[in-house]
Amino acid sequence: MNNNTTRTGKLISIQDSLVKARFYGNVIMGETANVIVDGKSLQAEVLQIIPDPKHADAGIVEMQVFEDLTGAQIGDQVEFTGKSLSVLLGPGLLTSIWDGLQNPLYKLGEQNAYLVPGMKAPALDEEKLWEFTPSVAVGDKVNGGDAIGTVPEGRLTHSILVPFNFGKCKVESIIEKSQVNITETVAVISDSQNTKHELKLAFRWAVKSPIPFKDRAIPSKTISTGVRVIDLLAPVSYGGTVGNPGPFGAGKTVLQHSLCKYALADIIIMAACGERAGEAVEVFKDFAELEDPSTGDSLMNRMCIFGNTSSMPVAAREASVFIALTVGEYYRYQGYNVVLLADSTSRWAQALRERSGRQGDIPGPEAFPMDIPDQIKGMYQRAGADQGTGGSLTFIGTVSPAGGNFQEPVTQATMDATGGFWGLSQDRADAKKYPAIDPLSYTSSVYDSFISWDDRNKMLQTLYEANGIDQTISTIGLKKVPVEKYVLYQKGLTIDFCVMQQNAFHKLDACTRPERLIVINEAVQKLIDSTINFAQDDKEDEEVKEMVKAKFDELRQWWKDWNLSAQTIDEMAVLPQKVEQFILQEEYTL
Amino acid sequence: MIRKEINRISEVGKALISVEGNPGVALNHVVELLEAGTNQSLSFAKAINITEDSTRFQVFNGTQGLSTQTKIRMHEVPLTAGFSYNMLGRSFDGIGDVADGGPEIIFDKYVSTRLDTLNPTVRLVPKQPLWTGIPMIDVFNTLVKSQKIPIFAGPTEPYNRLLSQIAQGAQADVIIFAGIGLKFDEYHYFKEQLSQSGNIDKTIMFTHLAGDSQIKGLMLPDVALSVSREFADQGKDVLVLLTDMTNWSNILRNVANYQDQIPSLQGYPGSLYSELAKRYEVAADIEGAGSITIIGATTLESLEDPVPDNTGYITEGQFFLDNGKLKLARSLSRLKQQVNDTTRDDHRPIMTAMASLLADAEKAYEAAEVGAANDTFSQKLLRYREDFIANMEEPFGEPIELEAALDKCWDILKRHFEPTETGLSKKLIEQYWN
Repeated sequence: MNNNTTRTGKLISIQDSLVKARFYGNVIMGETANVIVDGKSLQAEVLQIIPDPKHADAGIVEMQVFEDLTGAQIGDQVEFTGKSLSVLLGPGLLTSIWDGLQNPLYKLGEQNAYLVPGMKAPALDEEKLWEFTPSVAVGDKVNGGDAIGTVPEGRLTHSILVPFNFGKCKVESIIEKSQVNITETVAVISDSQNTKHELKLAFRWAVKSPIPFKDRAIPSKTISTGVRVIDLLAPVSYGGTVGNPGPFGAGKTVLQHSLCKYALADIIIMAACGERAGEAVEVFKDFAELEDPSTGDSLMNRMCIFGNTSSMPVAAREASVFIALTVGEYYRYQGYNVVLLADSTSRWAQALRERSGRQGDIPGPEAFPMDIPDQIKGMYQRAGADQGTGGSLTFIGTVSPAGGNFQEPVTQATMDATGGFWGLSQDRADAKKYPAIDPLSYTSSVYDSFISWDDRNKMLQTLYEANGIDQTISTIGLKKVPVEKYVLYQKGLTIDFCVMQQNAFHKLDACTRPERLIVINEAVQKLIDSTINFAQDDKEDEEVKEMVKAKFDELRQWWKDWNLSAQTIDEMAVLPQKVEQFILQEEYTL
Repeated sequence: MIRKEINRISEVGKALISVEGNPGVALNHVVELLEAGTNQSLSFAKAINITEDSTRFQVFNGTQGLSTQTKIRMHEVPLTAGFSYNMLGRSFDGIGDVADGGPEIIFDKYVSTRLDTLNPTVRLVPKQPLWTGIPMIDVFNTLVKSQKIPIFAGPTEPYNRLLSQIAQGAQADVIIFAGIGLKFDEYHYFKEQLSQSGNIDKTIMFTHLAGDSQIKGLMLPDVALSVSREFADQGKDVLVLLTDMTNWSNILRNVANYQDQIPSLQGYPGSLYSELAKRYEVAADIEGAGSITIIGATTLESLEDPVPDNTGYITEGQFFLDNGKLKLARSLSRLKQQVNDTTRDDHRPIMTAMASLLADAEKAYEAAEVGAANDTFSQKLLRYREDFIANMEEPFGEPIELEAALDKCWDILKRHFEPTETGLSKKLIEQYWN
């Protein structure tokens, strides 16, 4: 593979994005190649190598091409690169917006408003100067993953690492503190064979080789996402994994956008995988004007976006998720808390389905490749917390189940692969109860919440019971329901309406932090635990129920207003007091 | 220019032909089929699958009458679409040939039909409402310029009437009508409507009737959308009407089947999602240029069918038509949040409140069917539901301005509820209840 002659082949079959080429000599499984069509070089990946029935001394290689092949002909040249699909890692990743193969979209936009096959641009800015400060000296021993220096990247310190596949090495030379770009050599190291290697600020890493952990740990610190139903009942910890399935229109997008805006993390990576372009655009154009909740900077400064949107070549879709994962692992290794939002993993799985169909593989359930569950698990396994570096990579993947049916293979495999699960319900969405995460079905989490497990269970229990009474009411009518059950039902409604439901477009209501959650939980627990002293006098049950409903309606309206207005600690503290008064049914004034 | 010709057709199937060996044609390039003796042009065809042993073509006019003697003439270019302002007011078929019996058109230029993806960085975040005068759209699911949104409806619903009504009022420089698998009376209806409203001179119709060649139907959206895109690139606001994309998907399914592709769900190819997305994603508001809005129609038996299901994940919402009413529950405009916070301050809250009450009312309605909705509040909800369906979900009738529609919402609430029962904030109640 290290000889200087280029290894080549010739196309012998073209079907959509799948091509076959005849080659003489050697081809490596998984390596990338360039297919030359009309003078343009299109990137491809080797999927399979088979013997050539027509030529005993030749072989046939099957490849998927990441770009549109219009104009390709039999006999077109293929050049093998010897390298597997990789991502460029280095300073400048943050704030970048790429296509699914790490071509920067703004740079491509300077060439053409449309993404024309064969267009290329360097993944990271090659001119930009970074202030490099060395942290090792000549003669020092370094290993793969060790830092040789740092550069400031926005407000983060970006460590310049020895590529992870290096063993014990010695620093032969290193530059002084200075301004360098990513193409310049900053250090030379020699390995145990005494081979010298030049190190730059950036290096390429194969996307299907996970970047190692230093010391992998169980995710244990809860992320404040700002979304109440998540942070209370289905939380996620730094380094955790969550599957987020929902039929279309149930609010996956709005939830993803909320997480982008409010989740507390150092870095948010968005893999817009096979979804609407407009939504990714909204993120990088509108969110740039919003503030990062932890620093007050522009929100874009903590983000990078990989956009293989729905009309972009399907073959690049698989790559886009792995590229995003690798970037996430890279920053985790640097000690940062990274949240990766992949929207949607179903589109990723469909890309695999299209490919395996073209390759003529025997299909599994719903024509997905047979090994799709293993591939999904393997992908989520790359998330995790690292106590060696203090960093973490949290993976939140949306799932778009066909027909909204959670029994389909991708949703099922995701449930199996993740620690948390946020199931969006069509019924809740139809009732405009947003976020439509249904705490009673298909929602779970193994991670700790901001409230105790006891409180969490009690809250869930109340919602369960209220839901049961609700069903009784709709089947046998309100008359047959005893007053105390009706009160319990109203308590459940109140928790649902005032706590579970949240307005993602309201400045204050959109994001609830832990200190506010604690106050809310105090009020909720009081409401659950207490018997409410409704003045029953000698009223008929029906009249009592009407009165109970009216009182609760009033409480809910008050609470909703509180959600939209209470800001200071004093204003927040009013909520438990108000609930207290409500329980005692004292006359109160606002 | 002398074009290379061959006659080695080895296989003629439904819509597809195969040629032995490698005639030197490139993927997606066009060839012309000529009758053996007379050299009369029979059809064009597109190369879709090439190996060193054989090449497969999709035949635009269908394969009836082709023989192994038929000659193939190479054109060595992919399919292009003619473009000219003289196309306005005229009708074309699925590959852009004149189809109204009128004179041929001398095109200014030919545009690629490959539908390359627009670089997301030149997209503008859509912010301009398109008012329709239909309260169910303007109040509850505001339409936005550059949106892509289909009408979901059963095959017997008046979806074409609704599509036409939205088109009449829409502020667009150019209307592109793209009809696939239409019945003749549907085509005629649109033409009539557009003429009556005086919009015909800014309309180009691309029409494929049921029974026309399948491949022409398959190509039609690409040709229509490429022409739309050229107008948008020249600064025009274009409205595209795509009806009916279920017909189109069914052609896609047939052709995939002829090609022996492995089906995924209900016989549709695994690529259905990507294929639909490629067309719908043409909708865009383009920086420094015009815009393309796509309103489609998707007929369905059930929302879980692969076509509406995939479409729902691609488009920016959907309007759901049932029993002639635009249903609130399953309709959604994903872009409404971009525009409905700068209208009247009660717009968003009343939208949410009414929707939430309607959901409760639907539950009460179900309960009523088993005689369980016997309490006072359930009775209120039932009366509200009836009022809402009659007065809010009716899409046809005199257009209503937004403010009047919002006032109408308050009237409905007042007719049935106490202020606290609505879940609306005290402030809004004080402002609008009396």
